[in-house]
Amino acid sequence: MTPTYPPERHVLRDLRLQFEPREDGSHVSMPVVPELCGDDGAVRAGALCTLVDVIGGGLAAVSAQPNWIATADLTLHVTAAARADETVHADAHVVRAGRTTVVIEVALSTDRPIGVATMSFSVLPRRDSNPDLGAIRPAGPSTMALPTSGFTQPFFDCIGIEVVDAAAGVVELPVRDWARNSMGALQGGIVGAVAEAAGEAALRAASGTSLVVTDLQLTYLSFGRVGPLRTSTTVFAANADGGVARVELVDIGAEARRMTLARVRATRART
Amino acid sequence: MKHEDGRSVTAYIGISLRETDDGHIVGIVRDIDHVRDASGAVRAGALVTMLDSAGGMCSGLAALPDGWVVTTNITARTVRLDHVGPLRADARVLRTGRHSVVTAVEICDDGNDGALVTDGVVTSAILVPADGPPQWERPVVIERGRSTHDPLPFSEWLRAKPIDARTVELDLHEEFRNPWGILHGGATAALADVAAEVAGSHALASPAGAADGVLRYLAPGRVGPFRAVPRVVAVEGDRALVEVRVVDAGADDRIIAFAQLTLARRPG
Repeated sequence: MTPTYPPERHVLRDLRLQFEPREDGSHVSMPVVPELCGDDGAVRAGALCTLVDVIGGGLAAVSAQPNWIATADLTLHVTAAARADETVHADAHVVRAGRTTVVIEVALSTDRPIGVATMSFSVLPRRDSNPDLGAIRPAGPSTMALPTSGFTQPFFDCIGIEVVDAAAGVVELPVRDWARNSMGALQGGIVGAVAEAAGEAALRAASGTSLVVTDLQLTYLSFGRVGPLRTSTTVFAANADGGVARVELVDIGAEARRMTLARVRATRART
Repeated sequence: MKHEDGRSVTAYIGISLRETDDGHIVGIVRDIDHVRDASGAVRAGALVTMLDSAGGMCSGLAALPDGWVVTTNITARTVRLDHVGPLRADARVLRTGRHSVVTAVEICDDGNDGALVTDGVVTSAILVPADGPPQWERPVVIERGRSTHDPLPFSEWLRAKPIDARTVELDLHEEFRNPWGILHGGATAALADVAAEVAGSHALASPAGAADGVLRYLAPGRVGPFRAVPRVVAVEGDRALVEVRVVDAGADDRIIAFAQLTLARRPG
């Protein structure tokens, strides 16, 4: 990464991720704090999406060297709840590294499996502004957390998500430096958190139940750099047991350019 | 107009394609009874083939005049199972980049007031074929009528066979080759669907079908036989999450496709 990325206050630092390169992949752990959890007490899918995007992107970038990568799509299935004071472990492996695409799979666990994810990354020609992996990737365990890193408010508030119209699944947010990636756009995992927020709002309104998002499928179309960003949501089905919705995210500040299409599934809270 | 017949993937599914305005593709499948599962819903593998066919053509036209496309992944979420037919696949490009095209495809049921059946996204890589891209008369019209005899039941057409408690195998039948001579993406989808269905139904102790999934095409299937190996990742309530790896057993078990599918209980 360039010397100035990430800045001192940044999601990648506040998540207090612990990185551990492995010979056959990569391992990252994330402590679950209350600020990362929803009202069901379980870590939010959007927080796990960020963890997955970080570990997957890092491994994909190594595989694509000397070129760079951009996330093309991400699918996350949360199969069990992880709660505050637990640590989520993410283990990533390369499924295929090709000339134009890298596919990564990630297993998520605490003391038990809690989810799986897969991602496709597009291989891009390297730019001078891309981080130098050789300079910033230590050989051993590492963290980007500083002594001052950590959350003091809920995850969605840190991102700046505001629910404008819950029933329509409309949320808005600025593009804060805290959540930018190394190319100056909203970090890919944070896009998942936005989709979660919009889908959760719409599906709760449609079902009349406090459904919890458990599955995210994201197709990334363009970067969101300007803001504000805004979602619109179509609920496909919703009842007291669960629901499915499609969320579209656009960059209002860039002529409403379409950024991401997401499919969101929510279920009853796990006990 | 172009006519096809026989046991090829697209002819068996019976999808006709029509370009309605510049680059917008509509696919129609008029007869769907032969691709229903035991619950009466159209099989996920058939729906994915519809997405691939309409989405692939739409993406390919966007890559012209110099390039054509190969599908790299398909995501699908089926929102209803009471399929009447005919089914209509509506494909529109979301983004055309230098190296890839992303197309949204919605499958709706014209026999049920146009109700949404499946919401899908097809991502394709742009390639420049050595002999140039296919040449199409515009607007594109491909009519695929039913063959003269009744189509075979799905399992007889596919001829996938179990080789152990988990693995399902498919030979590279000539009619399953695409125009580039490799295993057709629809055949790959059908094979993954069968393997996931077997594993998911066993895990749920009940008939099951794919409710949503992502299928990633990783490498061309050139040799065969092809083996689909499922792994049940999790079971919760009436759903099972199943991963399927499809390998080319004739090419050192090279992985050619990887799928993650959510299987849901279906009425028997």
